[in-house]
Amino acid sequence: MRKNDPILKLAVGACLLATPLSAQLMTKEQVAQKAAKERSMADAKKHNIADIYESIVRIEVSTQVSNYSTPWATGRFAGGTGTGFLIGKNRFMTNAHVVSNQQRILITKHGSPQKHEAKVLHIAHDCDLAILELKDFTPFENLSPLKFTNVPKLESEVRAIGYPVGGDRISVTRGVVSRIDYNAYSHSFIDSHLVVQIDAAINPGNSGGPVMQDGGVVGVAFQGLRSADNTGYMIPTPVVKRFLTDVEDGQYDHYVDLGVSEFPLFNPAMRTALGLKKGDPGVLVGEVTKGSSSDGVLEHGDILLSLDGNIIDSSGNVTLHGERVNMHEVVERKFQGDKLKVEYIRDGKKASGELTLSPFNPMRIYATIYGEKPRYTLRGGLVFQPLNRNTYSAQRLNNPRVRKIYSNYVNDGLFVDREDVVVLTRVLNDEVNSSIAGFSGNAVKKINGVDVKNLQHAHDLLHPEEDPEFFVIECDGVDRPLILPGGNIDAVDERIQTRYGVKHLSFLGK
Amino acid sequence: MKSIYLFIFTLMCSSILNAASPVVRINSTTQGFNASQPWEKNRPSPISGLGTHVEGHGILTTASMVANASFIEFESLSGDKRFPGEVIAIDYEANLALLKATSDEGQKFIDSIDAISVASAAKKGDIVQAVQVDETGQDVFTDGKIIAVDVLSSFTPGNSFLTYEIKASMQSAGSSFTIPILKDGKLSGILTSYNSKDQLVDCIATEILTAFLEDVKDGEYAGFPSLGIAVTRTTDPNFRKWLKLEEEQGGVYVTAVARNSTADKAEIKKGDVVLAVNDTEIDAQGYFQSELYGKLYWAHLTRATQKIGETIKIKIKRDGEVIELSAELQRRQEGIIPAHMNDRAPNYLVKGGLIFQELTASYLRAFGKDWQTRAPLSLIDVYTHPQDYEEGRNRLVFLSAVIPTPATLGYENIRHRIIEEVNGKPVADTQSLIEAFKHPKDGRHTIKLDSAPHIIYLDAKVADGIDKGLLRRGLPALSRAK
Repeated sequence: MRKNDPILKLAVGACLLATPLSAQLMTKEQVAQKAAKERSMADAKKHNIADIYESIVRIEVSTQVSNYSTPWATGRFAGGTGTGFLIGKNRFMTNAHVVSNQQRILITKHGSPQKHEAKVLHIAHDCDLAILELKDFTPFENLSPLKFTNVPKLESEVRAIGYPVGGDRISVTRGVVSRIDYNAYSHSFIDSHLVVQIDAAINPGNSGGPVMQDGGVVGVAFQGLRSADNTGYMIPTPVVKRFLTDVEDGQYDHYVDLGVSEFPLFNPAMRTALGLKKGDPGVLVGEVTKGSSSDGVLEHGDILLSLDGNIIDSSGNVTLHGERVNMHEVVERKFQGDKLKVEYIRDGKKASGELTLSPFNPMRIYATIYGEKPRYTLRGGLVFQPLNRNTYSAQRLNNPRVRKIYSNYVNDGLFVDREDVVVLTRVLNDEVNSSIAGFSGNAVKKINGVDVKNLQHAHDLLHPEEDPEFFVIECDGVDRPLILPGGNIDAVDERIQTRYGVKHLSFLGK
Repeated sequence: MKSIYLFIFTLMCSSILNAASPVVRINSTTQGFNASQPWEKNRPSPISGLGTHVEGHGILTTASMVANASFIEFESLSGDKRFPGEVIAIDYEANLALLKATSDEGQKFIDSIDAISVASAAKKGDIVQAVQVDETGQDVFTDGKIIAVDVLSSFTPGNSFLTYEIKASMQSAGSSFTIPILKDGKLSGILTSYNSKDQLVDCIATEILTAFLEDVKDGEYAGFPSLGIAVTRTTDPNFRKWLKLEEEQGGVYVTAVARNSTADKAEIKKGDVVLAVNDTEIDAQGYFQSELYGKLYWAHLTRATQKIGETIKIKIKRDGEVIELSAELQRRQEGIIPAHMNDRAPNYLVKGGLIFQELTASYLRAFGKDWQTRAPLSLIDVYTHPQDYEEGRNRLVFLSAVIPTPATLGYENIRHRIIEEVNGKPVADTQSLIEAFKHPKDGRHTIKLDSAPHIIYLDAKVADGIDKGLLRRGLPALSRAK
């Protein structure tokens, strides 16, 4: 969920106003009866509720957001608040986006002025979850952790508890489960998992708070919808539990990926051509990503019949726990190193195989990067950065060839030869490069005749042992080479460093 | 209000010739083809402008005025007479068209309009007059001064021709297209655009008119020659050092050579530096010194100073050595992606609901103002790097869209895919696509695409039935391949 969402704030205000109005319509007796009933109910739950509130904490975060436009700069200092809750001994759960780019985290107990310093223990940007740990857990030791339960039923009531904008104290919002769906997690930009939609607004600050039902946690509030009122989303317990299992070994490994795109087999001519009878199961394998879990086992043109024995229908769905869901759901709950049995038809013959699932890192070129210093190298005033979502949007790369490389990076297997696509993002003007400025925004293919593999490689090629007469830089789709004079280039770098206030000429990663 | 404005304006005009105007109104109803449904034309839209009666030739106007016209009409200035007209010759690159009346009666009307001859070449500083016609049919003359002579493209992108830039304060009333520019009562040029904010007129230069009219004379229009290279300047000192260019040497660096072009025949290669054309030296920015106009862009040397069939001499520098090359000049060759589709119907094939087309610049431009970002990336790449797709192709055939039919069940979301093969045969153009579809195997067509699902199938019999149905539903024809 993004900060500052005025539409959502208004919606909450309207709800609060509506309650006293409906009370006026009742007779005095009815009001008295209702009040008495509510009192007794509240008394019964009092102890329990107070416990729950105590275990839900306010999280204050100060952040430093990297600048991918001038990667040597310190970045922007900012901050925000969110919610978290105790899930075990010195373990607080919250959203990844609450603590992304963090420099300092402070946790406050409900109704206490004391701020306690915390740090991130695990963070998973792909499912927007994080676990925090206090430096000193003693003041929290007598609190009871909240327990996760199951996916709530459609139309059942849930409560979102947290510290949203509009006040300092804890806030409770009631809502009804209105949809259970596979949907996008906006934090990373590229990931989709199971999502539960509720008709209670999730406001900024609510993020990371528990959504409760019958005393148990059924989800973690995490995002709202700008275009619709009173719509909130929570991360349901299957996703949370998967995260908790993944980090059991002390580190987070990412979701694993099948690496296959499927094409539905509806067309009768296509079915006949592939030798399929009416009602036969199976979906066509459209693309198998090079280097992915399926590479070497599946091929494009195969008809995929089942995953771990779950029969795939012609539209690419499987039946899991009585629900018809996308076949990729089978892989959702798996972990790095898990095996997956596949059955398929190739060249008209039935075959089976086993693949070892692993996360697919090249895909992260499309995901937003958090909490990392941007990598770059600067030579003769030319700024080189690896292509990724942050660079792409900060530098507004709109050159058609770069756009094509970016969009085909995974499908065409470009990552095999180019771990990084190095882009000339900026030219810091100087007399040695004044004619090159117009070429910024292009992807670097070769430096001095050598294909560039990654940023480190580009850096090495630009810093040879002996300075060449020229550095000849060839870019994708540019019909002339860019020429940087060699010879005295270290002096040029020094001059540019002073002139433009660049402290370090490169950052190539940890 | 308008008439008062006109009146004042007329008073301000510096020179009003007594002689009757050599102009006629042209009304043209233009109609391009629908990019997504290539079998039909778009909504017709009328445009109006002026034509100039040129002595011994006919009515001269711009190509943009009559390109894609479904109907052309001449109208007397007073609006009392109208006659249909037709094109004698048109050049979309130079943006010129010569027209005549379709009927004898119409021709008599044309003959009754005072004809003028073409002036001698103008130069910077010359005073010229723009002729406009107001709503009452009165001609209005506005003085202007040629402030610059440049080489610009006015209609088909990438085709630059000699252009006068004239400072003139013209009125917005009356016709403002294809206005003739006169010098001493003779035709000096034709207006292609007017920028009212800067009060600047772009005008096709006399030399271009003369060459066009000269070419038309024999009844067979040959067109302007073209070298067929793309270049970039060599002003970057480091780039010059790397190219081993000497200090005083100019030259432009060749970035691309069009297949089968004049340059290709002269064996010019990418990476060469063009130093001179027909002994006229080109500077590092790509300009040469013209006797008449001063500094001009070098493209003029290969387009309007020579004729098709003449030999052009090119001096280049390759690997530090100066070489003389030569070739016979020819007209611009259309690559695999036609730069324009004026007065040409796009080729297509509809098969069982799959719509195949040949990629053209017009198709991409139909994506609107931001077509370069909105059009599909794979097709934009073909447009920007056609040389990467040339092999085995005359045109680039792609699957543009899918009409949902029983034959295309499950294919509804496939669009903008480049076709690699049909029924095992390579697809060079629509003609070969049609031919390939004549040979289904086992009652099925197999279509190979450039990306997932890579292969799709059509039931030949079902597709034929659907094609018949589509004809009944109003498709005029299932294909066009010219």
